[in-house]
Amino acid sequence: MSIVAGCDVGSLTSKAVILKDHRIIASCIVKSKPRPMDSAAAVMEGVLSAAGLSMNVVEHCTGTGYGREQIPFVQEIVSEISCHGKGARWMLSSARTVIDIGGQDCKTMKIDAEGNVIKFTANDKCASGTGRFLEVMARVLGVEIDELGRMTDRAKTPVTLASTCTVWAQADVIKYINSGLAVEDIGAGINTAMAQRVAILVNALTPEGDIFMTGGVAKNTGVVSTLEKLIGRKIKKTVKADPQIAGALGAALISLEKINGKGRSTI
Amino acid sequence: MRPEIKEYNYDWMMAGVMNMAGKVPNGTAKETALTYRYVPYFSKVARTFIESGEVGVQILNLFARYYGNVLGAHAAGKKIALTTFCFSPAILYAMDVVPICTEIFTALGGIVWRRGMFDYLDHACQIGLPETSCSSQRGAMGAYLAGLGESFDFVICDTPGVCDTNANAFAFAAAYLDKPFFQLNYPQNIGDHRTEGYHLEDYQAMVRFVEEQTGKKMDYERLAEVLAEVEKQDALIADLEDLHTLTPTPIPPLFNLALYAGKFTFSGNPEYTVLLEKMAATAKQLAAAGLSGLKTGREKLRACMFYIDHYTLNVNFWNWLSENGVAHMGSILSHHFRDNLDYAKALKGSAYGVDTSSPDAMLNSVAQMNARLPMVRSVRGPYDQPNMWLEETLVLAKHFGAECMIYNGTPGCRNTWANVKLIARDLERHGYPVHIMYDDAFDDRVESWEATRERLEEFFTIRGLL
Amino acid sequence: MDAFYAAATQIKTQSILDWKAQGKQVVGYTCSYVPAEIFHAADLLPVRLRGIETDGMEIGDAYYGPFICSFPKCILQLAGKGMFDFLDGVVITPGCDAMRRLDECWRKAGEDYPGIVPAYFYYFDVPHKAEAHGLRWFVTEIRNLIHSLEIHFNKRITAEKLRAAIAHYNQGRRLLQTLEDLRAQGRVPVSGTEVFAATVAGTVMPREEFTRSLEKWIKTLKKRPTPTSNRKRLMLVGSISDDIDLVELIEKNTNALVVAENLCFGVRYEGNEIPEQGDPVEALAEHYLGRSICPRMYGKYKERLGYLKEKIRKAGVEGVVMQNIRFCDLHGAENALFERDLEAEGIPCLRIEREYGPLIETGRMKLRINAFLERISIKEKNHAA
Repeated sequence: MSIVAGCDVGSLTSKAVILKDHRIIASCIVKSKPRPMDSAAAVMEGVLSAAGLSMNVVEHCTGTGYGREQIPFVQEIVSEISCHGKGARWMLSSARTVIDIGGQDCKTMKIDAEGNVIKFTANDKCASGTGRFLEVMARVLGVEIDELGRMTDRAKTPVTLASTCTVWAQADVIKYINSGLAVEDIGAGINTAMAQRVAILVNALTPEGDIFMTGGVAKNTGVVSTLEKLIGRKIKKTVKADPQIAGALGAALISLEKINGKGRSTI
Repeated sequence: MRPEIKEYNYDWMMAGVMNMAGKVPNGTAKETALTYRYVPYFSKVARTFIESGEVGVQILNLFARYYGNVLGAHAAGKKIALTTFCFSPAILYAMDVVPICTEIFTALGGIVWRRGMFDYLDHACQIGLPETSCSSQRGAMGAYLAGLGESFDFVICDTPGVCDTNANAFAFAAAYLDKPFFQLNYPQNIGDHRTEGYHLEDYQAMVRFVEEQTGKKMDYERLAEVLAEVEKQDALIADLEDLHTLTPTPIPPLFNLALYAGKFTFSGNPEYTVLLEKMAATAKQLAAAGLSGLKTGREKLRACMFYIDHYTLNVNFWNWLSENGVAHMGSILSHHFRDNLDYAKALKGSAYGVDTSSPDAMLNSVAQMNARLPMVRSVRGPYDQPNMWLEETLVLAKHFGAECMIYNGTPGCRNTWANVKLIARDLERHGYPVHIMYDDAFDDRVESWEATRERLEEFFTIRGLL
Repeated sequence: MDAFYAAATQIKTQSILDWKAQGKQVVGYTCSYVPAEIFHAADLLPVRLRGIETDGMEIGDAYYGPFICSFPKCILQLAGKGMFDFLDGVVITPGCDAMRRLDECWRKAGEDYPGIVPAYFYYFDVPHKAEAHGLRWFVTEIRNLIHSLEIHFNKRITAEKLRAAIAHYNQGRRLLQTLEDLRAQGRVPVSGTEVFAATVAGTVMPREEFTRSLEKWIKTLKKRPTPTSNRKRLMLVGSISDDIDLVELIEKNTNALVVAENLCFGVRYEGNEIPEQGDPVEALAEHYLGRSICPRMYGKYKERLGYLKEKIRKAGVEGVVMQNIRFCDLHGAENALFERDLEAEGIPCLRIEREYGPLIETGRMKLRINAFLERISIKEKNHAA
């Protein structure tokens, strides 16, 4: 029996997962703090208390995410791209293409049967096509992020939105609100704009096998359903775990591989 | 790309749309009204053309024919060339080659379809054209590179030296599908002996290339016929450009579009001559009555576009001009630089003539004519040098009595975005209020039309122009 | 090596200051298509213009529009700040649209920042094709440039002087080829960062000094102990790069070693020597226009791909990092084609878009490079298994 952990310090949220062998015994999501080490400490404390464990029983911990190099208690640092591959494979064993939309970037990857990344692409620079984009837009629209996701189903004629730049998209949204357009049509336009950005990355990778989505935006039904239309493929869902913790889960799985493969590693 | 988009080819769909639209006015008024109800998304743009009378319908038929030519080329034993707007197709027609002008195809799709060319634009990015590349080629290329169009046989572009993003897109298309590629290369000057000679040698090489591709020798008698048609067209264009100087101008904004779109697609072909004749007749009638070509009937302001125009859904921009009393005094695309035009005389070396006395003279005429097409003419060298962007803009503005200057382009236009701030500053110093539009002429997702319109209105209001 | 590092990481290098102290003149240029031999023959110091050490963009952004690559903007920024005050002349070329517009942007900035435009400001019109008439055009351009330099700087640039300059530059080319051979070995005695620093230094140092230092350095490299290493052998290609930080960023990952590149400023076609007999101007023209291809020449993709494949084979490259500066369509599109064709042959590729200069975002780049190295390692492990 091995107890391992994965800690994913992202730009918007930090996630941690504890595995007992291949089973998740606890997970935790917290809002990220300005300093990555503080986020790491907070989320780890959260996950340990949820599991009722203390850090010294954790045999190995892998860190990942935007703040991965500043997590003090990890034995291994791995890129979140590799971690999401592993995590996605655990959540859906048939997954071969993974879309991960994080707070500040969007990545797509192809994985093999073991969850190893064999090819990936990532968006660059701009916040459009990221979780931050949806967060900003939901705020302008004055709705919760979950509510925004549901608007696509209720919209009649989604608006066309400036999708290449978050600032301009924001100006567009304000203009549409002022001109009295149905809020659902604006919300659906936001989800479509987001989905179009992501679809370019997905298609650039020529997706194969089952497609699975990780990261917080996987919970936005509007983006997911529009994306499905744009790429002409279904995106598989799972109830095994929250897709938002896929990175942390993948990190924990890498820890498990480490101790199973090479025994307990030391710092 | 959405799977439903892949069901039909782009050119096939557009041929159908244009064909049907061109036939709508054949019915009774009641039938026409009913047809509009069945095509809610297309009705606005169809109305714009149909309600502008015979000329509008002629434009629809012209484009239907253009798409039809592409669709029927291979069956007719002709080769198809993927090419660009600043390369006159006259010489290709003389060599029995059917051109696909990517920018016209992108513009038409964007005008007609509610979601514009979005799927094709994005597809081109998915296969590797950067999203910062010019949308004018990227839209149509997205369709053709996805195999959603009649396959083209070779690629010709004439923008190396003038526009990287254009030349690069064509080089990419050729490499992506492994098609033969020919590029004409333009130096930074125009009108001097050395440059003219270089153009001619380039065209001689191009003729050899096309001969290799088609397996047919250039037929100079055919070229003479095509050039004779060009002569007729140039004379009509000169008439139209003369009428355009009147106050109020009898030229409706949409005529500008028809003038250059026709030239880019059918130069040297009788179809374009017919369109020009219809436009000239309409404009002359209006002029004789002292009427403005604007929908409002009252010309409040004369605006000069000093780069390109705006081509997204429903030709919104053109309608907006017409409804607000703004006369469109032409863009870089709509002036022709034939040596019989007054403004061309003011810019020494900027104009071309047509000489059909010998094969070499004809080829030279084509080379010089194409060198005077938009962009490759005046955006080739430093903008403040003789004959280049600034001088040309000032001459045109004066000649057509422009009261303000507007820049519109695409974010892909590295060439003009690298010096538009400089030219804008200079134009202001010459007394012209200048507005720089930040949208994408072919993609509403960069800046929505609503935002573009608001910025335009803001400019006209703040500068006290409207 | 220290001299190379110093020259590669500063705009005002010691060797430029020493040159000026001798009362001699310096001419800046912007593109690899400018034959530096011409300046050398005139006893002028050719200095490739660079964009490092920029800490703001207010001048670059005031003249250039928003959708423009940050490299020429950085050059303009530095010019506006007086960082190029050592220049007696500048040669601008149409390397790409953004670079050729440096001509107007610099001149116009000169109206607002007096004294930043050197007295000699020349536009050198390099054609985009190397066929007979393109080559003839280029020969005339070179002769015109020579003539104008002779008049402005009161120099005589004879055929003998040009031939001597070519011979001297060839010596450097051979040395760089030796360096490339060392990098192709199983055990590589030199890091990509070091080599990149040396080649960048070569574009700003007086050529004699550069050749001497390079020769000495290569001798020490040959004696350098080379332990076995598990580092992955990478190649770096794409947009213009004069910033050793980019290579350093890759090699900071202890699993990475850059063993080859194809970059403007880096080693690109160094093996090619220029004939030392015959008409030197024609020889220069043929070399610079015809034998050093970058995507600005259009329609040369297959040759470029062939060259890359050959280099990958020779240097045992295990992965290719392809970068383009945002708004650099030329390299952006070419990288996509490279990626398609090289991946099809089993060569892992990483394609990234980046910013240049003060906007650079290293975190994002590091993540991708780490993930890429993880991918190559997994591939190797699976292969071994």
